[in-house]
Formats: sequence, structure tokens, C-alpha cells
Amino acid sequence: MKKYLLGFLLLWPALAILCGQNQNDPLVSRCLQSTGPAAKYLKDFRIQLGQGTSQNLFRYKANMSLWKNTRYRFTLCTADNSKGRLILNIQDDTNNVVLSSVDGKTGTVYNYVDLICNKSGIYQIFFDFTEGQSGSGVSIVSMVQ
Amino acid sequence: MKGIVAISVLGVLLAVCSCRNNPGESGEFILVNAESFAASVNPGAETVEEIYRNLSSPLEIANLFQVMGVPFSPGYLASSIDANEQTTSFQKALFLGILGADLGYLNMYEKTGTAIELVSSIKKLADGLNVGQYFNFETIKRVSLNKSNIDSLLFLSVDSYSRMDEYLRKNNRSQLSAIMVVGVWLEAQYFSTQVIKQYPNNLLRERIGEQKYFLDDLIKIINPYCDYDREFTAMCGWLKDIASKYENVKIYYTKGEPSSSEKDGRLVVTQTESSMVEMTDEQLARIIEITGIVRNKLISK
Repeated sequence: MKKYLLGFLLLWPALAILCGQNQNDPLVSRCLQSTGPAAKYLKDFRIQLGQGTSQNLFRYKANMSLWKNTRYRFTLCTADNSKGRLILNIQDDTNNVVLSSVDGKTGTVYNYVDLICNKSGIYQIFFDFTEGQSGSGVSIVSMVQ
Repeated sequence: MKGIVAISVLGVLLAVCSCRNNPGESGEFILVNAESFAASVNPGAETVEEIYRNLSSPLEIANLFQVMGVPFSPGYLASSIDANEQTTSFQKALFLGILGADLGYLNMYEKTGTAIELVSSIKKLADGLNVGQYFNFETIKRVSLNKSNIDSLLFLSVDSYSRMDEYLRKNNRSQLSAIMVVGVWLEAQYFSTQVIKQYPNNLLRERIGEQKYFLDDLIKIINPYCDYDREFTAMCGWLKDIASKYENVKIYYTKGEPSSSEKDGRLVVTQTESSMVEMTDEQLARIIEITGIVRNKLISK
């Protein structure tokens, strides 16, 4: 009986470690490491989307205040098992597109986008995966000095 | 003996299940859009969530100080707060917010060793509100002592506060969440107004003026609780006092198309439209004065 109790007690710390590891998402950690040396973390968005029906509409939306005279870096990280790549579109409060991480002419998808903000205000941050495909990803917003 | 084995296995399974099903503790992806979920739980919560996201971060204020070349000063910190002496939930939540801003300021200046005592106070206040489990105390302490990765420290601190805030809002304690956010904003505003007295600067002056809009949002958050008790009533009054000093501050916008270029594989977009703040020296002086009065009244023993 003592053997089983001992085994049970030994299992507890292992389980506690497993629980603790869940708090640190590996994709977030990986993405944090790729923001660059001059970048300082500000906030993050975690996106998980299934297969979409439309290729043109961004399905994840959040609002965020951006401040004049600040250089923001949006680092986009896509989980390995995703079908599409995480993409970003930012619009101001009057729905004017400020930036897109996809170059409409060349089709280039950027994983890093810097915005040199000159107008303080509330912006709409949209995310999706390329061609409305399924995927999960993280976007880290940093300030670059 | 078989019974003991069964109980042990059951215990292990329960531990695994509770570990996986605790939404506050899990760092895994949320399967539904967090904002939609919040809205479905509490009608109107989406609006509140948006306001929370829009409030200025003390990290951005501290970043601006660094851009200006302002040296670190411990004199700006709310060092008179004693986490053992707070009696009401209002005080605990308010000081949790104020110390959160202080922590952001310390972290941005990489004063991580100094931050340990502050982190312990935050943990005590969070425990006092029963949200201590969402403050990643041990890891933050370890990373602070290590000084190895400031970005991770910033992430852990912001993430802990977001989790505490989210828990409070989703468990019918939104009034405490609101007061915590007021604390964060007020302390960041205090930093700005103290720094500009010593280091006059147009960028910081504009940032202080731009708080006009965010102060309006803050008042929207706290307004439903103005009659909650005497402490909330007083706070509503003080925020309105600050807002009254902003009454004639004006913000203008000019139009322009963004320009973009590629550098080292990064897309760099520069906005050409801009915002401008019109604020007189007298208006600024009154904002500095009222901010100092309110903040110091709140943290005085």
C-alpha cells in the first residue's frame, strides 16, 4: 500500500509541472523571441479560426489604441498545423485601410509589419488566414525604439 | 489494496481534468473568439471590452519617456502603498491598478531587481481579491531576478493583469475591474504630468492632451458604479474633476495617404495623416495640478 501511496505522491509534482507548462503557450514564446532586439512587448492577439466561406472578409476583429510618434511592430506567427498563414489588416476609425500585411500587387505575405503612427486614435485590427483557410496564430504588438 | 489503486488513479485523472479545464490558468488557444464569447455571456460587454483595450498602456508612456531621454526616477512610484493595510475591495483593486502601472514603469526601465518587492505587494492585493491565482507570481519573480528577458517579463505582467481583469469582469465583479483600470490610468497619467514638469516636451504634452478621449471612456466604465458605495461615488467625482480640466482641450486631424516600403524583409508603413492637440499652458497646468491632487489623495494613508 505504501508503494502505491508513494507513487501517487510522486505523480503530483509531475502533474503540477504539466499544469504550469500550459500557462506558457509555445507559439507565444516563439513569437516573442522573433520580434527583434529593439522591440518591447505591448500586447498580443491569439487567433484560431476554422475554414471560412469567404476569402475577402477578415473574420477576427479587435480594437486598439495607437499613439502618434510611436513605431509599432506587428509580428505575425502561424502555428505549424495551420492551412493558411496569419494575415493582418488595420483600419482607422473611418474604415480607411492603414496597412495590410499582404501586398495586393505581388501577393507577398509579410510576417513583420512596422507602423510609424502619426495619428493617435482607435484603430480596428483585423486578422485572418490566407484565402480564408483554417489556422491558429499569434500576433505580438511591440513598440520599437 | 485495489481500492487504493483505484482512488489513486481517480485522483490523478481528476488532477489532469481540473488542470485542463481551468480556463483562467490555461495558456492554450481559445477555440471561440474571446470577444464574441464575452458578448454572449454578458450583453453589452463587447463595448466594455473595447474600452478596456483602448485605454493607454503605462508601457507606452514609459516608452515615450525613454524616447525623450528621461532618466528613471523612483520618486514617481507610489511607494507609500502598503499591501497589508488595505481593508476594502475598492482599495485593493485601486492599488492593484496603481502598482500595475508602477510595475510597467520599472520593467520598461529594466529595474527588475527593485520590482521584486512591488511584485510581492501585487500578489498580496490580488490574493485579497481572490484573483491571486491569475497573477503568475513565481515566474514573474524568477524572470525579474534573472534579468534575462525583459520582453518575457513584460508579457507575463501584462498577461497576468489581463487574466485578473477578465476573471473579475466575467464573475460579476466588474466594479472592481473598472476601479483597477482607473488605477492603472491614473498612475500613468501621474507619471506623465510629473515628468512634463521637469522635462517639458511637445510629444509628452500632446500625449497628455490626447487623454481627453480616453478619460471619457474611463468615465463610461465607472459610471454604472457611481452609486455603489461612498468610495466609488468619490472616485466618480474626482474623475469628473479631471475631465472638467480637459473641457476646452481640442484635438484636430489632418488627412493623408500612408506610404509603405520594404526593409530587411519587413513591411514599413508610415502614416502621413496626423493628429494635433490644442492645449494652452494654463490648461496643462490645471491638468497637472488636479492629477497630482487626486492621485496623492488616493494613496495617502
